[in-house]
Amino acid sequence: MGQQLFIFGAAFLGSAVESTEALTIVLAVGLTRGWREPLLGTLVAIVSLGVLVILFGQLIVTTVPESALKLLVGTLLLLFGLRWLHKAVLRSAGVVAMHDEDRAYQQTVNQLGETVARRDWVGFVLALKGVFLEGLEVVFIVIAVGGTGHGFPAAIAGGLVAAAVVGATGLVVRKPLARVPENTLKYAVGILLTSLGTFWAAEGMGASWPLDFISILGLAAVFFIASRLAVTLIRRPAIA
Amino acid sequence: MSFLRGAAARVIGLFVGDWLQSAVVVVIIAVGWFAVSRLGAPALVVLVLLLAGQLVWFARAEAMRSATPSPRQSPS
Repeated sequence: MGQQLFIFGAAFLGSAVESTEALTIVLAVGLTRGWREPLLGTLVAIVSLGVLVILFGQLIVTTVPESALKLLVGTLLLLFGLRWLHKAVLRSAGVVAMHDEDRAYQQTVNQLGETVARRDWVGFVLALKGVFLEGLEVVFIVIAVGGTGHGFPAAIAGGLVAAAVVGATGLVVRKPLARVPENTLKYAVGILLTSLGTFWAAEGMGASWPLDFISILGLAAVFFIASRLAVTLIRRPAIA
Repeated sequence: MSFLRGAAARVIGLFVGDWLQSAVVVVIIAVGWFAVSRLGAPALVVLVLLLAGQLVWFARAEAMRSATPSPRQSPS
């Protein structure tokens, strides 16, 4: 039960971050060019991503031996999580600027202003591309987190609930979700995925962790301390 | 075509930001695999510490790289 909740939480948080970025693109396109084509593009992207999850998820889980799967997916999850964590450390230390949804929204609106003379399929393609590319990360998180830990339903539920919550919030406020603490979320998810990746990679090597799944909390503590140490070492005045 | 290129770049970009850092992580995992089968639990501790250490090392290296003043920067 604890493991399933952990898988749901990891999939939910990771998917929420990416859904917020996808929503920013859809809102920018919808509010400047009308809603029909962007919503159609979003729907096509979501269906394509769902097919990817079902196809690759089932294929990987049913054909790859469990230890090899844990080692491979654990290593990929580790690389993925470390990438998020590395970026979060640099942002927290003020080395790179924080991700800003308002700015991302304005950039997309400006791009659309330049293409206003073209046909309406621009809105469809932009929404499709934005949602599909941001959604690829959600697909990886759901497959990696769910497939390896026998928690596919929990991971898919986490991804879907995150997309629904972010989508519904976007529908209500009709503007970019700039108040979502995206950088903090990415920091937390980076630590979570790095810890899960280390846990599964080591299990794939044949190691058994003391206290089994609870060890992930210890791993998270180690990576959190390491990241804070990195932030302390490189801290600069914040970039606007 | 550009969409497919963008998607492929995105998939690679999910795992690789800095090729050197990714290579170091893969080497740590490969050495860990070898060590865990021979040494057991103590190798796990070293594996985790190495992974945490590379995070600090590469963050510091990137911060130092970005701190190098660009020739175009104005003195003010």
